[in-house]
Amino acid sequence: MSSPDISPALAALIDRLRRSDMRALARCITLTEQGGPVSDRLHRSIYPLTGRAAIVGFSGPPGAGKSTLIDAFIGVLRAHGRTVAVAAVDPSSPISGGSVLGDRVRMQRHTDDPGVFIRSIASRGHLGGLSESIHRIVDLMDAAGRDFVVVETVGAGQSEVEVVEVADVCVVVNAPNLGDDIQAIKAGILEIADVLVVNKADLPLAGRTTDQLKTMLKLRRDNQDVPVIETVATTGTGVAELAAAIEARAGKTAAEKRAGRAKRIQRLVAQLAGRRVRDSVLRLTSAEAAAAFACAQEGRISIAEAADKVLRTVLREQASGS
Amino acid sequence: MTTPRLDPPARVLVTKIGLDGHDRGSRIVAAFLRDAGMDVIYTPPWQSIGAVVKLATEEDVDAIGVSSLATDHLIVPNLLEALRAAGLAHIGVVVGGIVPDDERPGLLQAGVSAILGPGASRDEIIEHVAAIAAKSRQARDADFEESAR
Amino acid sequence: MTKEAVQLPLPGFDQACGQWRAEYSRQIGVDRVVKNRSGIEIKPLYTPRDWSEAAYDSDLAFPGQYPFTRGVYPTMHRGRTWTQRQLIGLGAPEDYNARVHQILAAGATAISFLPCNSGFRGVDCDEVDPVLLGTCGTVANTTDDMDVALKGVPLGEISTAMNDPSPFTLLAFTLGVAKRRGVPWSSISGTSNQSDYLSHFIANHMFLRLSLSGSRRVLLDHIEFCLKRTPNWNPVSVVGQHMQQAGATPAETVGFTLSTALQYAEDCVARGMDIDAVLRRFTFFFDISISFFEEIAKFRAARRIWARLARERLGAKNPASWRFKFHGQTSGVDLTRQQPLNNIARVAVQAMAGIVSGLQSMHTDAYDEAVATPTEETARIAIATQNILREEAHLCDVIDPLAGSFYVETLTDQMEAEILAVIAKIDAAGGMFKATEAGLVQTMIGESALGFQEKIESGEQKIVGVNCFQSNGEDRPGKPTERPDLERMKAHVERFKEYKAQRSQDEVRRALDALARAANSPGDNVYERVVEAAERGVTHGEIVSCLRKELGFGHPLVIA
Repeated sequence: MSSPDISPALAALIDRLRRSDMRALARCITLTEQGGPVSDRLHRSIYPLTGRAAIVGFSGPPGAGKSTLIDAFIGVLRAHGRTVAVAAVDPSSPISGGSVLGDRVRMQRHTDDPGVFIRSIASRGHLGGLSESIHRIVDLMDAAGRDFVVVETVGAGQSEVEVVEVADVCVVVNAPNLGDDIQAIKAGILEIADVLVVNKADLPLAGRTTDQLKTMLKLRRDNQDVPVIETVATTGTGVAELAAAIEARAGKTAAEKRAGRAKRIQRLVAQLAGRRVRDSVLRLTSAEAAAAFACAQEGRISIAEAADKVLRTVLREQASGS
Repeated sequence: MTTPRLDPPARVLVTKIGLDGHDRGSRIVAAFLRDAGMDVIYTPPWQSIGAVVKLATEEDVDAIGVSSLATDHLIVPNLLEALRAAGLAHIGVVVGGIVPDDERPGLLQAGVSAILGPGASRDEIIEHVAAIAAKSRQARDADFEESAR
Repeated sequence: MTKEAVQLPLPGFDQACGQWRAEYSRQIGVDRVVKNRSGIEIKPLYTPRDWSEAAYDSDLAFPGQYPFTRGVYPTMHRGRTWTQRQLIGLGAPEDYNARVHQILAAGATAISFLPCNSGFRGVDCDEVDPVLLGTCGTVANTTDDMDVALKGVPLGEISTAMNDPSPFTLLAFTLGVAKRRGVPWSSISGTSNQSDYLSHFIANHMFLRLSLSGSRRVLLDHIEFCLKRTPNWNPVSVVGQHMQQAGATPAETVGFTLSTALQYAEDCVARGMDIDAVLRRFTFFFDISISFFEEIAKFRAARRIWARLARERLGAKNPASWRFKFHGQTSGVDLTRQQPLNNIARVAVQAMAGIVSGLQSMHTDAYDEAVATPTEETARIAIATQNILREEAHLCDVIDPLAGSFYVETLTDQMEAEILAVIAKIDAAGGMFKATEAGLVQTMIGESALGFQEKIESGEQKIVGVNCFQSNGEDRPGKPTERPDLERMKAHVERFKEYKAQRSQDEVRRALDALARAANSPGDNVYERVVEAAERGVTHGEIVSCLRKELGFGHPLVIA
């Protein structure tokens, strides 16, 4: 593990990480959040250690009972002797930048269990860009030897989609009492879900929610088998079934995991590239660009045609170094 | 706030150990610290000392605020000892709430940074927590020279 | 000699009023808007234009008459003074016994029992660090403990309030003691003071032992048991205190509490119980803040609203069911650690508000309540305060003395409107149980708490000794803190361990099995098994642990 630009301190830290020292894992996560060259060096070094853990993402609207469900799911994993690490993403205040990270306290069953590592992550108002950070944190948890890595986000919007794309298995949790029944479809999250859950299934409208989700699944372009599982997280009903469904989909060979990770990296790179292009388009000041926007506004050309035009402009400007 | 904000923001654990369950004060302090730009990990009451040490380790916190009414401050020295044993002596621990006068010196001697009673203003609380968090982070990073940004 | 009824408003009224308003505006300078804790704007003056007696019959009536605004009984304090019921609890059972005899010797006819925090957490004394035992309440984990605690106390003759949440083991131990002494259970009177699990889940997690649904089940079983076997015991005390202490405004507190009462009443009816039998045994427990007039208006409005809800919404037929009977405790969060002797004045004002409001029983806080359990001296002053108000200030001579005050009647109506708005909100959320599960109530309280704190921070709300009129810190009495003797507590723990070892383990196991089975059979009465288990020597921690396992551990909803 020695390399000219890895300091002895960093090397020692990485060594402890490999030995599943949880304090080292926590420090590495902090270094990742700090970013910069140290974080880059750290991640280059630990990449060879990744690829073993099964990564499960949980998403869904607030109030669905995700944390309680994850708490119960962890219980099942622990009963099977598996070790777990959880990355719990909480929203930060857009005003102050601070946050109250209260997710982990809903997982009260595991406060004394060294086999369960929980780290709270403030989203810090990034609506994009968080996914790369999460991806790195997941790698660290993987490198530290955890069997399962759970990523939890609140919400069902585009940013949450990006975050859970980090996972091998995406679980989307709904509940029947949340007013607007199927919030999950809003952001294409239904497209990426591997398992759908209707939690609080003891409520009277649960059956209807389950039926609606099943109907919506038929609109998916792939015909992957996506189960809709009813659970009552507070009592544990349905959790064993959920755990089995997740483990069935997570149990991939090393080759499958590498392929999965490759796809993940591809998506992350595409996400970042997409954001860069988007920023560039919005910064365009040339007359040509202005004309394209104006034509689209007046309906003289379609939005798609305008997009083609400005994309060509951006690429040309990039090529000419302006 | 005279102490400059840390970047990434200070990570502060606000918790209660022992038997008391009145958490109105600790919730309010958590909100104050959030509004001052810090990341607060907030727990309900009755955390065991082992759970607090585990949490402080995993979350790599910069400061711990223990809210204590009744007699729970009596076991704060046990917490400090457990933190030291886990290699977390650099984390600043402040006690908030009610501690009888004759028992304050003992706590300070055990390593508590301050005891902030009910008369402490929001700004005093924020200032103190920011100061001990900055100090903790410096101590933690001192042995890891590359993390200087 | 009665005067002839004066026609109001008087001729020239408007002119005089206008004149006053003009002069007021000229002299007042900056006229800031004043709002009370419930957010109601308070004017400088109230007149017959604000409230007139036209509504007397329908809105006020007479004491003991529907809707009971002026008092639940015809004689109120002039006939029978409020019950002085001071909370006591400290150390080991012998310590409690000593304190209770002092109180009885001083003339009390009602006692209460405050268990140690370890008891609230549902564990026995051998499960916590001994330094934490007995500091805020009495350790009592078995029927034997209760026997010692109540030695020489005439069980059938005095009223006992057990400050004990579900599964109410303290009452179970007391019934065991009663059986040993040959005192019939039908003569045991008192209240399960902390039976309101919803208020615990919302605002005082200290008292939350079982899950929401588990608590619901045990409460209903407890009510059924008591109605049959301990007919003089009030199994339900609906508690507003925790929520107001957590920061709910006075109007919110009553709104939430009455909604809770509705929920419990409806749950009982759904079980097949008779509404009148049930409501007769409902009592309420509120704290009294130092917002003097607001508290008086709050309680008068509460009486009126509850009477109407009980009769019209719940359909109770017996007037006894429509009575809003309450125990008041002076508010601890209004007291300060700085300049603690000031708290004597604060408690006196709170107690005055309580008495004038027409409470049925009262606990006054000791001035050092913020710091530690009361000493003999501070407890004496707390009781003396009540005695002075009664004997010297003659506050008992007139029933509902502030009735007819333009201000107090207007404020009563306004508080009523605020309270009804809260009840409507809870109704819209599907009732108190659902609203609590969803965290709606907790969120509202959190906002009110933060709002009040901000007022203190900004200085808008002045607190003497804290953000104004501070002294330089030398005023705090330097008395040593009173704690139970650590060696005595350790000795108690040793005796407890011996006790456990000497019991018939078979009997204990059988009793716990029966308890677990009952918990899993919806038709069984869990509380009956609790009482049996207590008789068979099972401990508090063992009972709670068994029920937590079968019915769910009480984890509060954390709203960050």
